[in-house]
Amino acid sequence: MPQVTFSYTGQLANAAGTPEETLDLAEGALLRAALDDLASRYDGRWREMIFDDGGNVRSTVLIVLDGEQATGDKNAISLDGVRTVMLMTPIAGG
Amino acid sequence: MKDDYQLTDLDRAFYEWQLDVPGFGEAGQAKLRNATALVSRAGGLGGPLAFSLAAAGIGKLVIAHAGDLRHDDLNRQILMRHDGIGKPRVDSLVTTLRSFNPNVEVEAIAENVSDANAAELVAKVDIVFGAAPLFEERFALNRECVRQNKPLIDAAMFSLEGQVISIVPGKTPCLACLYPEVPPHWKRRFPVFGAVSALAANIAAMEGIKLLAGIGEVTLNRMIYFDTATMRFQQIRIQRNPDCAVCQSQPPS
Repeated sequence: MPQVTFSYTGQLANAAGTPEETLDLAEGALLRAALDDLASRYDGRWREMIFDDGGNVRSTVLIVLDGEQATGDKNAISLDGVRTVMLMTPIAGG
Repeated sequence: MKDDYQLTDLDRAFYEWQLDVPGFGEAGQAKLRNATALVSRAGGLGGPLAFSLAAAGIGKLVIAHAGDLRHDDLNRQILMRHDGIGKPRVDSLVTTLRSFNPNVEVEAIAENVSDANAAELVAKVDIVFGAAPLFEERFALNRECVRQNKPLIDAAMFSLEGQVISIVPGKTPCLACLYPEVPPHWKRRFPVFGAVSALAANIAAMEGIKLLAGIGEVTLNRMIYFDTATMRFQQIRIQRNPDCAVCQSQPPS
């Protein structure tokens, strides 16, 4: 069973209360399913930052797979062969 | 950008130690002296950023920052002065910068960047540094930089983390490629140590200096991200969004 480490930045890390954690995922798992699982572990803020009102992954969430930004449909990203997922919510502090 | 600046003896005296940086020299210094930069806000990020550009001897700084100085600005806004509390922030920043390096021209504008003034401000300069705490301001700068084909160095921080993105229209993702809309959860107030802001600011300043002087390697198509909790630094590969509403019509150069 592949292990994938999820890390969080900014407000997302605050909402999770941890900067990273490792999940055991099934072969061929979709990111979307992992996000649903993670959202069930945290309070509503984490879910609200990840998902929009329609239940889709927000356009403003930057998804980084093994150091590279993922593009395309964020709800259809496969984690096949992926070891690290970084979830970044936008920051603008100064 | 102009290319007619001749270094003076005063320049050589001022900038002697950085003239020794390999690849920089008098030609690089002249490029900096020719350049004008816009810094959007001079707070925890924009303040040290402007300070480092002034130290490096940029020709002119245009700095936009509205409002009066407050006590709670002073843990990070290093261009400000305690005796300036209750007075316009631009007064403090002009006094500080002019006393530090009188050979750098400073134009302070007591307004924040907005859709109403972004075009005029960006038109005045060769390079733009985004350091505002609101996405509306950053997005206004991004749109204008793409439209006017000007480089934008966007720096941001939150708590112990920071990030810098160097945007060259037509060559790199723009800010809207990464963030197509204002994130609903961003708040005007954010946790901040001045040292974290200054770290992001100085990375951004160095990206701009490299871009203007033509030295080193600017981190195009990569986001520089750091977390001072662990002192982990990394570069994240980022990509243009073919459906970007801001830069999709910008032809690659």
